Amino acid sequence: MSPADAITPILDLPDAAVAIRLRGIANRFGPVVIHEHLDLDILRGETIGIVGGSGTGKSVLMRSIIGLRPPSEGEVRVLGHDVWSSDPAERKALDSRWGVMFQDGALFSNLTVRENVLIPLREHTNLPPGLSLEIADLKIQMAGLPLSSAGKLPAELSGGMRKRAALARAIALDPDILFLDEPTAGLDPITAGRFDALVNELKETLGLTIFLITHDLDTLRDACDRVAALADGKVAAIGPLDHLREHATGWLADYFGGPRGRAALG
Amino acid sequence: MPDQDAQFELDQSGPVPVLRVMGDWTIQTIGPVDAQLRALRELGDSRPAIVDVSGLDDLDTAGAYVIELSLASSPTAPARMIGDHAVAGRLFNEVRKYVGVKPEIPPPMPVWQELLDRIGRSVVDVYEEAIDTVGFFGETVVAFGKAIANPGRVRWLPTFAVAESAGLNAVPIVVTLSFFIGAVIAFLGKTILQDFGASVFTIELVGYAVLREFGVLITAIILAGRSDSSFTAQIGSMKMTQEIDAMRILGLSPMEMLVIPRVIALLVMFPILTFLAMLAGIAGGAIVTMITLDISPTLFFNRLNDNVGVDQFWAGMGKAPVFAFIIAIIGCRQGLNVESDVISLGQRTTASVVQALFMVIVVEAIFALIYMELGI
Repeated sequence: MSPADAITPILDLPDAAVAIRLRGIANRFGPVVIHEHLDLDILRGETIGIVGGSGTGKSVLMRSIIGLRPPSEGEVRVLGHDVWSSDPAERKALDSRWGVMFQDGALFSNLTVRENVLIPLREHTNLPPGLSLEIADLKIQMAGLPLSSAGKLPAELSGGMRKRAALARAIALDPDILFLDEPTAGLDPITAGRFDALVNELKETLGLTIFLITHDLDTLRDACDRVAALADGKVAAIGPLDHLREHATGWLADYFGGPRGRAALG
Repeated sequence: MPDQDAQFELDQSGPVPVLRVMGDWTIQTIGPVDAQLRALRELGDSRPAIVDVSGLDDLDTAGAYVIELSLASSPTAPARMIGDHAVAGRLFNEVRKYVGVKPEIPPPMPVWQELLDRIGRSVVDVYEEAIDTVGFFGETVVAFGKAIANPGRVRWLPTFAVAESAGLNAVPIVVTLSFFIGAVIAFLGKTILQDFGASVFTIELVGYAVLREFGVLITAIILAGRSDSSFTAQIGSMKMTQEIDAMRILGLSPMEMLVIPRVIALLVMFPILTFLAMLAGIAGGAIVTMITLDISPTLFFNRLNDNVGVDQFWAGMGKAPVFAFIIAIIGCRQGLNVESDVISLGQRTTASVVQALFMVIVVEAIFALIYMELGI
């Protein structure tokens, strides 16, 4: 099924074609309900953009998928494995199949960029030290950083370079799925555009599935195959960007129809 | 599907050597073949220029990278690939761009040079710290003077909060430790003075030691460890989250908002804690003398009154505001010097406790000299 036809949250597809499968997800913080009966299927090899107003639980959803916060209810299956009821060995294997880039990079501030990239390599592989260094340098360059910055501490880098360093760490293990939380937030439009191009390029070469949380309309247009909009605790609308714009209601209509939306999408 | 081992062979039967790769070549499987491949890399220009990927299963960039390194290949003259593979060609092209780019790592300094370098830097650091501390001290004194002149501008709410957390909450530990110190002094005095038949002088020993030195010193040491670390961590994390910058922009002086409340709180609470410490120390000494020497409380306090006197109390209490000031400003200054990384927060917190303890002991020694000259 091509992304263009996939315009419902639940897709009738076998496990092999689906990277992430969410069923009946609920997330509650005390009396506050973030998600309720949320279903979503993400195809292998697609880039899905997650949009939604503040407080609609985009980051919470990501944290439930990558195993940082147990959902109050529901099932999370990633690459055919249940994230929340797998045994530790299975979980560790799963950890090495996704890469996560957090909103502020979350680079370890006491380690250099190269050491940051080396951490997943040391933890999840049995490469000899010399080779892991070379692989780390390869990933740093693939993320678009010059090697001269490999020995620098995160505090010595600019915001855009820190994002690239975080991306290098996220792709260190050649993951199947890449999670990006607001990758272009805080970047100037030119740097953000380059970052989108880089993500597209990496997706092509590495055959990635990308889960991308963003507010950036340019990123939605340039980097995403499908867009899922969260509202009222579930996936309110999903499909290619054009499909969503045609059928936009409520928050989405404001989002696409506002001055910024019109400027970005024409 | 479990990973298959990465395998390769060098086929030299044809006119040109062909590198044949088989199995999975991913980041999880290439470790064991790295050593053999390195031998191949050493060949330089006589590396094979053709790679056969027909036996290849999974491949990722790490696998493509090590294969590419073993081939005579460059962006201008790429190696030839035979056999079909879904992603191999694309991945080889991608990693080829980065093969051979070597980082510029400056040569390491000789050990003796690095030793001298470090010693030199530390000396300069100590000098700069000293200058900076004195500067901060002056700044605080000026701000404190302004605050006294205009008490309406003092932030009383945070002042009381600090007085509670740094002062009131420290009462149990200060009292307990002073009690034990007093008791230990009495035991020691009794043991030694008994040999001279002068064990009754244990009372004077306890009085002098607790009132003049230990009451205030124990308080200072506990506050240096307890409050300085928290001052530095609080102010330091505010610095890291740019709260201090925000204050400056909003026209609020961090000195007024953060430092002065802490200075005032400690200036008020320190003498109170010292007083409690003295009481507890005397109590500890009194109980021990009563039990081991059979001295009645009346005799104990009479001797204390006649032979030690209130001078010793004031000699100890006189140090309290000085220590309070030292401890408060060292904690605040280190907090304000935290930079944006986690390491500096740790370093500054350590430095603040160490510097405060150091200064307390040094100032204590200076007081001892001054009191001696004054004949107190």
